[in-house]
Amino acid sequence: MLAVRNLGVEVDNVVLLHDVSFTLKKGRTLCVVGESGSGKTTLLKALQGLMPICRGSVEHGLDRPGATTRQKPGPRPIGLPDTKWVMQNPIAALNPLQKAGAAITESLHHAKLDRNAKQEALLAALGNVDLLPEMALRYPAQLSLGQAQRVCIARALIAKPELILFDEPLSALDAVVQKQIGRTMERIKQTHGLSYIVVTHDLGYAQAYADDILLLRNGIVEAYQASNAFFRSPASDYGSELIEAARVLGCLPEEAAVQPMTCGAAQ
Amino acid sequence: MTLSPADALPVQTKNRLRQAMAQDRFVQFLLLSLAGLVALAVAGLLLTPYDPTEADFLDRLAPPSLSHWFGTDQLGRDIATRILYGSGWSIGLALIVSTAGAVIGTIVGLMAGYVGRWADPLLMRVTDSFFAFPELIAAIAISGIIGPSTNNMVIALVSVSWMKFARLTRTLTLSIGHKDFVVQARLNRLPQWLILWRHILPNLRMSILVLWTSSWSKTILAISGLSFLGFGVQPPQAEWGAMLLDGKPYMQTAPHLMIFPGLAILVTVLAINLTGDQLRDRLQDPT
Repeated sequence: MLAVRNLGVEVDNVVLLHDVSFTLKKGRTLCVVGESGSGKTTLLKALQGLMPICRGSVEHGLDRPGATTRQKPGPRPIGLPDTKWVMQNPIAALNPLQKAGAAITESLHHAKLDRNAKQEALLAALGNVDLLPEMALRYPAQLSLGQAQRVCIARALIAKPELILFDEPLSALDAVVQKQIGRTMERIKQTHGLSYIVVTHDLGYAQAYADDILLLRNGIVEAYQASNAFFRSPASDYGSELIEAARVLGCLPEEAAVQPMTCGAAQ
Repeated sequence: MTLSPADALPVQTKNRLRQAMAQDRFVQFLLLSLAGLVALAVAGLLLTPYDPTEADFLDRLAPPSLSHWFGTDQLGRDIATRILYGSGWSIGLALIVSTAGAVIGTIVGLMAGYVGRWADPLLMRVTDSFFAFPELIAAIAISGIIGPSTNNMVIALVSVSWMKFARLTRTLTLSIGHKDFVVQARLNRLPQWLILWRHILPNLRMSILVLWTSSWSKTILAISGLSFLGFGVQPPQAEWGAMLLDGKPYMQTAPHLMIFPGLAILVTVLAINLTGDQLRDRLQDPT
């Protein structure tokens, strides 16, 4: 379980995040939505220690006494334990001169495993993301965007994390692939009992898969609601505006019926 | 957070090098002529009946003929043989010097660009102060101060050639160091040296290769220049610049003493420079 309390991030006296609080229970998905520049990615970076926290705290592993980490303002090591980050642009997130298999097993750098064990873990991870074993030998340039994103997910998964942070995992992909990868993500979550924080523009995805919604605007939490409640009656005007806009664009069904459908798939 | 078209382009440099070599006749020609020069030098050394340092006073300043293709110099030494021996100095020693410069500069640049903090300003100010002196003049000064010899020339040339690599490597390291795949490696808590070695250095190699070819040809000129001025390779060793110096007093009466070493320098430097230019056009990263 992850608990974020009153998190504040400032850079050069510019407030990027103000008073963000939420909790994420095991096995749940939190979708962070909001316009560009609203602080969605900053939130992930702050969680991962890539940006300094100015106020508040991040507590991780609360359900396992003894394994709890509590991060407060001040210098801290980079990376939350048992947490992986899948980025928006899968091609940029992979070293162009490193084969996919090597990129995936790099997550096991500190795991004390021998070659064979790593090989097995690699094959299992590839299987989990529906990639053929021979994809391990490809360079990023030889992968499609969808395959590359699957490699990135496998890279996160192989380390057996509890929590995966997704930063707009689908926005670089075309509609069909969006839908497939959305499903893969959901299946992996179920089978491995993971928690997700998914930053997304795609309200269709959020409606289909999120348990909770965190709506950010200018670094301030506009709404923090259960997904059903948010799509029925959002806690802020900005939220209803967003939902309305998504309906007009056809990214959300007219009725707030819960359908597993992403923005692209509706087109 | 949108994707630029460049992100989707294949960036696999290994294939690009292969492609450039497979498709481009000009690059093939240049690489072949470079290989030809080296092969010619080796074959000539094995076949020539003359010794590059043995004087033959009965046959001084002979013009080109069938027995002495490029003629003989003021001590009756065969110029063709001396040029072949000189290629060892010019091509081989220059290769060693520019490689040493590239290695030192790359290490400095990587440290400055990735370690950052105190290392960056410190290393870059040192680099700047080396940059403050014009290359060749600094090399002349250094070899002049520590005394003319081949070893000192190597020290002088390495100490003026590494800064370009340091600057280039630092800049590229800074930009690559912020890329997503490096962030992922940091999140995996890879040791810094491993991130540099596995993720940053391989992505710099094409840019370094291009700079290295131009550094190589410049070093050939610098070695010849220093030797011509008497600071470099010392007589009786055959070196192209030193041969030019030897031939200078006879420029009017026996111009072949200067023409052939001069041509050797010209052809070699031109071939390396053109190859470097072609590589630059085809391989250098758009960053």
